Amino acid sequence: MDYSEVTDRISRKFSKSGHEIDRQKVEGKLRRLIEEFGVQPAEAERSVTNELNKEFGIAPVAGAGAVTPGGGATEEKKVAAIQSGDWVTLTGKVVSLSAPVSPAIAQNGIIADESGGIRFVVWAKSNAPKMEEGKWYKLESAVADEYKGVTNLKVHSGTTITAVDTTEPLIPAPVPVKDLKPGVASVRAKVVQEWDTTHDRMLQSGLLGDETGTIKFVIWKEQGKEKLVPGSVYSIFYAQADEFNERLSLNITGATIMQEEGDIQTAGGSGDAEVRGAIVHIAPGSGIIKRCPVAGCNRALSRQNYCPIHEIQNDFAYDLRIKGWLDDGEKTHNLLLKRDTVEALTGMTLDQAKEIAENNPLGMDEVFLQMREKVLGRYVTCKGREIENRLLANSCEKVAFDSSEHTKLLNRAGGA
Amino acid sequence: MSANPSEMGGGRREGSFEREPARRVFAAELRECRYQFKDGTDEKSPTFVLLPTGERSNRIFIVGTLTEKTRQGEQNVFYRGRVIDPTGTFFVMAGSYQPEAMQQLAKIEAPAFVAVIGKPNLYQKPDGSYLVSVRVESITVVDKDTRDLWTLDAAERTLDRLDALREGTSPDIVKAKEQYPIVDPVVYRKMVYDALAQIKM
Repeated sequence: MDYSEVTDRISRKFSKSGHEIDRQKVEGKLRRLIEEFGVQPAEAERSVTNELNKEFGIAPVAGAGAVTPGGGATEEKKVAAIQSGDWVTLTGKVVSLSAPVSPAIAQNGIIADESGGIRFVVWAKSNAPKMEEGKWYKLESAVADEYKGVTNLKVHSGTTITAVDTTEPLIPAPVPVKDLKPGVASVRAKVVQEWDTTHDRMLQSGLLGDETGTIKFVIWKEQGKEKLVPGSVYSIFYAQADEFNERLSLNITGATIMQEEGDIQTAGGSGDAEVRGAIVHIAPGSGIIKRCPVAGCNRALSRQNYCPIHEIQNDFAYDLRIKGWLDDGEKTHNLLLKRDTVEALTGMTLDQAKEIAENNPLGMDEVFLQMREKVLGRYVTCKGREIENRLLANSCEKVAFDSSEHTKLLNRAGGA
Repeated sequence: MSANPSEMGGGRREGSFEREPARRVFAAELRECRYQFKDGTDEKSPTFVLLPTGERSNRIFIVGTLTEKTRQGEQNVFYRGRVIDPTGTFFVMAGSYQPEAMQQLAKIEAPAFVAVIGKPNLYQKPDGSYLVSVRVESITVVDKDTRDLWTLDAAERTLDRLDALREGTSPDIVKAKEQYPIVDPVVYRKMVYDALAQIKM
């Protein structure tokens, strides 16, 4: 391959600023990048150009479309009107600060005005004055860009921050859960489910719901953070809604949370779902399980008595559960049965299961197999709470043959 | 406290994942399937057989009598079985790609009432005739009550499909009318009636 054309181009670029390049060296570098390392030609050209820029001490030319702040005043904007790519000046209140995730970041949090809230990042390199939570500031010439589908504000060295003396109260309007989109938002919702946490940095996760829908929430462990009480209603100001695997979840670690009086009738979580169908699958992890004895943990342990958070726990407690799929012929529901429901359905008590687990050569597997034989393929009616296709049954009974149904169907089939 | 979504069989991992429901269908209807299609172009897109009564089916639930089973193959062992319902015979199979199902089937002594969850597949034999076989996901021995309950369930679902077929305009129904022009709802109603009549009071 011939690199002289590219080299010519690079040479011309640099001769404009009075620099002479070593053509042989440049060609050699290009060849190495392209032939030895499989770099795309355009990328190789860019890479070599950058290297020469550095060598000659030339500031890199900004890519096409980059905006130069060039001294002119940027537009004063309300938070809700900010779009990715804008250079903005705004006045707002720092409603939340969170621990920076990288040493390159001096501060991050949420700044809000009466139109809404937006995440911001202050780069460590900007040498900006520290902002305090709860205070108002005017930010001039900050840049809005997009990170993981969410618009946020970057405070860099060209941004001016001035404290604004005001004590204006700021009460954000809650957004219905079904209208949430990635970004900063406030909701008024009830804790409808609490889940096992899946990570040791996680304080709590579960499901929040209001009249319009439900959403997963998470609180990460940070100083002074407290768990929410299942069944209680909260006003949650300036939570961060993130999208992951096409699902939205609400990070409320940095949010202002206020417990509210009263109750909310949550959508889909009314607690009186009833499904009649056949149990078409029993998932691994059903049967007899061991749970972590550490107060408030209760996670299922592995076979080696290992808790994902508290490691080896040989002083475990036994429990029964069945996880599987309940299929009514039109729709398949994810089914979860707890100990009392499992005992009633299988006729096997926890004590009997324990006896098998400890004395049978197959151990806990034997309990799984026996329970599967007893319930797989059977017709049952399960009642409980169904949220997002997960049915937490508090009763589950085998269906009995009803001869009146038989007669009705005979008439229906014969009567046409 | 309660359910961890990641433990609950895949709901979360795949975002909007929904498990395909298991259709209730009598052997005499399944036997008549001649049209199989894929929903989507992905390698992992689900395959459906189109039931003559106008519904797509990726998975079925059947309860009947396992009358015989045979072990086949040398290196790749698999089991075949025949499961009888009031209208005819289902051909079921489980191979080494379904080790759980194969072990379950291997253990069962025929004859026995069995509940089978599986995936229907349509094959054309060298002589040009078609065979619908059911690849077993799981098979368990059940009692006669479950068999009777299933017969009611399959009867009701079949009648529902026949009602929908009469009026319906869904893409699957339109396709079924095109693929199965000779399907006579009267014949299927009679099949349902005869199946119900076999349940002893």
